[in-house]
Amino acid sequence: MSHARPRLDAMKPKTAGPTRTADPRPPDKFPFRGNYGPYLLFGSCGAFLLLTSLIAVEFVLALGGGEAKYDAFMTRIHGGAYRGYFWIALLGLIWFTVRFLGLFPKTQPFRFGPLKRPPDAVMLAGLLGAFVALNLVVAVILGGMLG
Amino acid sequence: MKALMLELEPIIWLLFGAGMMVGGFVLPAFIATVGLGLVGDADAYSYDRMYALLTHPIARGVALAAMALPLWGGAHHLRHVWIDFGGLKSDGVVGGMLYLLALGGSVAAIVAVVTL
Repeated sequence: MSHARPRLDAMKPKTAGPTRTADPRPPDKFPFRGNYGPYLLFGSCGAFLLLTSLIAVEFVLALGGGEAKYDAFMTRIHGGAYRGYFWIALLGLIWFTVRFLGLFPKTQPFRFGPLKRPPDAVMLAGLLGAFVALNLVVAVILGGMLG
Repeated sequence: MKALMLELEPIIWLLFGAGMMVGGFVLPAFIATVGLGLVGDADAYSYDRMYALLTHPIARGVALAAMALPLWGGAHHLRHVWIDFGGLKSDGVVGGMLYLLALGGSVAAIVAVVTL
């Protein structure tokens, strides 16, 4: 015997009629109130992910194209506009990742399988530690300080 | 296009989540080194050294993940910023274009590491 309750649709109108749902609209004083600014800035940092990845693709394609193409690419990306972009993107991506990692523990379940969920502070410290450590490892390998 | 994006939502979310993680854990180091040269001297970025480094099988795999996944993270973020600024009606076109850019970039990334 099933004890399941009947499924109710609370939004269903009693009688059939035309849908009168209003068009979605932004909240009052959007985007200059509350946390909308940082929230939109966080989303906009997606541009850094997209553009920097495309530059990385071009970097590897140039490397595969031979020494002349690679040298031309490296000369180009060390010019003024690229340099300015790289500084802004570096700061933007660090802020973006720290904010993302800060949100991450709040989205996790209470148990990881048989394991109890660690406290938020421990999870955050682990993620920030991994962020710093992995970037350092990649930087020292690319920068020729390891191998 | 919107219906297709809705159907592919689980895959896009997987790529988006992985892209944020991988992008945050690798791209700042890429910018600091290759972009700004903050670590190591000029010889570290010579053609011969970089070619020897990136043709290693593990490096190829890491490079592919570091190039392709953040494209999806970035595309998904920018799509939602567009929606937040009232672009819901043009979401099919703008979102589709952003995902096509991510797809094109991912294919180029695969070609780049395979032909290296």
